[in-house]
Amino acid sequence: MPMFSSITIGQHIPGDSVIHRLDPRTKILLTLAVVIGIFFVEELWGYVLLFLFVGAAVALSRISPGYIVRGLRPLVIILILTFLLHLFMNPGKELFRLGPLIATYAGVYKGVLMVGRLVLLVVATSLLTLTTSPIQLTDGMEALLRPARRIGVPAHELAMMMTIALRFIPTLLEETEKIMKAQMARGADFESGNIFQRAKSLVPLLVPLFVIAFRRADELAIAMEARCYRGGEGRTRMRQLKATTDDYVASLVTVTFIVVVAVFL
Amino acid sequence: MRQHDGQHDAVYSDIHSARSIILAGLFGALTAVGAVVTIPLPWTPVPFSLQVLFVLLSGIVLGGKLGAMSQAIYIILGVIGLPVFSGGHAGPGVLVGPTGGYLLGFVVAPLVVSMVAGRGRREGTWSGLKDFAGTLLGVVVIYIFGASQLALVANLTPSRAISLGVLPFIAGDVVKAFLATWLARHLRRRGLVL
Repeated sequence: MPMFSSITIGQHIPGDSVIHRLDPRTKILLTLAVVIGIFFVEELWGYVLLFLFVGAAVALSRISPGYIVRGLRPLVIILILTFLLHLFMNPGKELFRLGPLIATYAGVYKGVLMVGRLVLLVVATSLLTLTTSPIQLTDGMEALLRPARRIGVPAHELAMMMTIALRFIPTLLEETEKIMKAQMARGADFESGNIFQRAKSLVPLLVPLFVIAFRRADELAIAMEARCYRGGEGRTRMRQLKATTDDYVASLVTVTFIVVVAVFL
Repeated sequence: MRQHDGQHDAVYSDIHSARSIILAGLFGALTAVGAVVTIPLPWTPVPFSLQVLFVLLSGIVLGGKLGAMSQAIYIILGVIGLPVFSGGHAGPGVLVGPTGGYLLGFVVAPLVVSMVAGRGRREGTWSGLKDFAGTLLGVVVIYIFGASQLALVANLTPSRAISLGVLPFIAGDVVKAFLATWLARHLRRRGLVL
């Protein structure tokens, strides 16, 4: 049986910390700044400082560190692979030998740094999604992309698509399961045969899925247009994004830190 | 204001129309669903997922621009934390990580698929051949982006990146291109294309 793992909406953990209360625009931009900073840093000291900085942000968000560490679990294999690759691929003083592979001291150093870089990237970016709800993120992204409209980036359309996709993932999963059961009741077989037969058995699943998607789109389009939807132009909002003192302080601290670390270390 | 230029079809293929926006959103959601619905294959640890199939079909059904936008939506869904990347992964780390290039390829692929396969309601062998050529090229685009980022982020030589990141997937992806062509035939005949 194909697997339907349940999709929970986002990993967002609601809370009332300083980090949670920051404007989503601030959080998105500062996360980008930290990610760029991570790519600039080459030395061990820079990584130590970045770890302290990101750690402080996690502490301020009052999200349990255990939860953050659990988020790293799917990455364990990639982390181990990265470490091993660097361990054996760097020339230098020999640490030990494994057949034709030579582990070096330089390899250990480089491996630790690269694993540190990946961990930092994941923790820094997941802090953004943990402390910001999908709707806030969508609003923030639309606001940040608005200046790019001039060069043809459809900011409002992208934000609206996001909202629709978020709304319809559970519906489409449900529909898929329903069609599958209906076709199995008619004798469809999704589980046996070679790769071509299996691929072909998906046609009676996918064609109805597309028919349903198109029908839903037509219904929703009519509903939206009946309510005078006419795109982002001149739209007013119930929730206005507003930057507070916290946002300015957070920006100042982060940008100063990143510049110092990236330039001096 | 939405622009009406008098042509009947212009309203529907316009990226600002409610219907286009909704369909692109739905395609982003479908790609996410496709990544979750996996068929385990006994002879390989790589499961057969439908993600790439929807990437290719988005180019055929929505056209290049909207198709690319629908895939950008899929990526953003994953980046903001929905477990919609293959293997149930999520978060921005995936995008900047070793396998993130494939995701970037997903955005570019519909543009190429649409360019080669063309659009609209139609039938026939020639139409099928164009769809197959388009979807195959789409797969190649995904490989180019995927293998490049794999090589860059994981510090691999190009040949090693190809043997790790392209060769194991070719058989499955050719089947998906074939399936996409087959489906495109049904969808084009029924007018389920923008």
